[in-house]
Amino acid sequence: MRPDNLSYLESHEWVRHEGETAIVGITDFALEQLGELVYLDLPEAGRQVHQGEALGEIESVKAVSDLNSPISGEIVEVNADLAESLDTLQSDPFEQGWLVKIRPQSKEGDKDLMDAAAYQALVEASD
Amino acid sequence: MTVSPPILSTALHDAHEEAGGNLVPFAGWSMPLDYGSILQESRQVRGSAGVFDVSHMARFLCQGAGAQAELDHALGARMTDLEVGKARYSLLLAEDGGILDDLIVYRQAEESFLLVVNAANRKRDWETLLARIDPESLEDLTEDGGGILALQGPQARTILNRITGASDFCPSFLDLATLPLGTEGDLAIARTGYTGEAGFELFFAPGQGPALWNLLLEAGAFPAGLGARDVLRLEAALPLYGHEIHESVNPFEAGLRFGVRGWKERDFVGGDALRALPAPNRRLVGLASEKRVPREGYLLFQGNREVGVVCSGTFSPHLDHPIATAWLANDADGELEVDLRGKRLAVRQMELPFIAHRSRD
Repeated sequence: MRPDNLSYLESHEWVRHEGETAIVGITDFALEQLGELVYLDLPEAGRQVHQGEALGEIESVKAVSDLNSPISGEIVEVNADLAESLDTLQSDPFEQGWLVKIRPQSKEGDKDLMDAAAYQALVEASD
Repeated sequence: MTVSPPILSTALHDAHEEAGGNLVPFAGWSMPLDYGSILQESRQVRGSAGVFDVSHMARFLCQGAGAQAELDHALGARMTDLEVGKARYSLLLAEDGGILDDLIVYRQAEESFLLVVNAANRKRDWETLLARIDPESLEDLTEDGGGILALQGPQARTILNRITGASDFCPSFLDLATLPLGTEGDLAIARTGYTGEAGFELFFAPGQGPALWNLLLEAGAFPAGLGARDVLRLEAALPLYGHEIHESVNPFEAGLRFGVRGWKERDFVGGDALRALPAPNRRLVGLASEKRVPREGYLLFQGNREVGVVCSGTFSPHLDHPIATAWLANDADGELEVDLRGKRLAVRQMELPFIAHRSRD
């Protein structure tokens, strides 16, 4: 169910490269841990973010948590409709539930990120 | 290296797993946080009836010829006029009048009282009571294999009627009774709860738990977890230890005068301190917001002036917006904002409780 062509941050954000842009989202595991969502705060396009930096917030009945950027670069597009359709995020976090698109600062690929197998191991260790 | 104490399981542990419960550590126990949806379980309780396993709550038995007088001295609320077959809310106070815990006292017989206290405070409450009451008359029943199921919601009476065949029981709020439970023996029940709904708390004996749970589900009760319990108690503005009440809160500012019934004249631990208290300068208020949840510890502002702090916050499925309780300075008035992780969010005051209580219906 989790695509194997993604890279992951320890705080459960994923990134997928499509040509010049990188698509960023949050994993099914993080959403399962959060439970029922009540609020999503995403940034404006044009903002520069660094890897690991908070780019928004997600809030559930149980908790509020930062959304951290898995890579450094400029936010070029935001999934603005998502905040009004949190069910979409909950049900399809890897496709329609993407959060932002980023133009990566560097072309050297994803540094300090986990591949699918390493992320799977993290999930199993914390489940 | 830290050594964790062993985690305790209730008699319903396997039943929770079977029902899809999401078991989490809570106050030293493995307890169901939810069975998939906190919000849905909350709605089911208000719309029909839910059953909560609250066997983690500590049960202390206090009995003997001196029990009534000793409890009257040890606890905040008067015990001398508590009738057999009735329950009463009380506070356990420190000498300085601060709140050590809140509890329900059930008078089972002339000389037999059952005290149900918060799981997180079990050890301290036990030690406090041992210091105030003859240890010979106290017994900690919490780990005897029995426990408590809370059946809450408008269908609670119908469900109990289905499984016991009895219909005429506990006519009034806080009544305590014993009902037959088929081949399972007798079941002690009380018209108490922590949701604001009509309902009962069922005190099952060692060995009765799983059978009772199954009977309740078959009779139409939905399993509900601690997550829903917290949502429901907050909608009903019922205090939770560690949030609305703790050692630095006194009963009056918390709106819990009924937990120290008879405080003006009685001789009880904390009584002198209560009588010497100045008038409170803050009060517990209800807050509502649009989208974001004001959570515990968030500060309240009026312009640049800090005027309070949030005790508990959640999303209310009944009202369909976030709600919170907070301490607010008595001299604050006008527009309020909460500091939400560095951002200011407008909140409005709402009268407590957020929903009308139906526990006496």
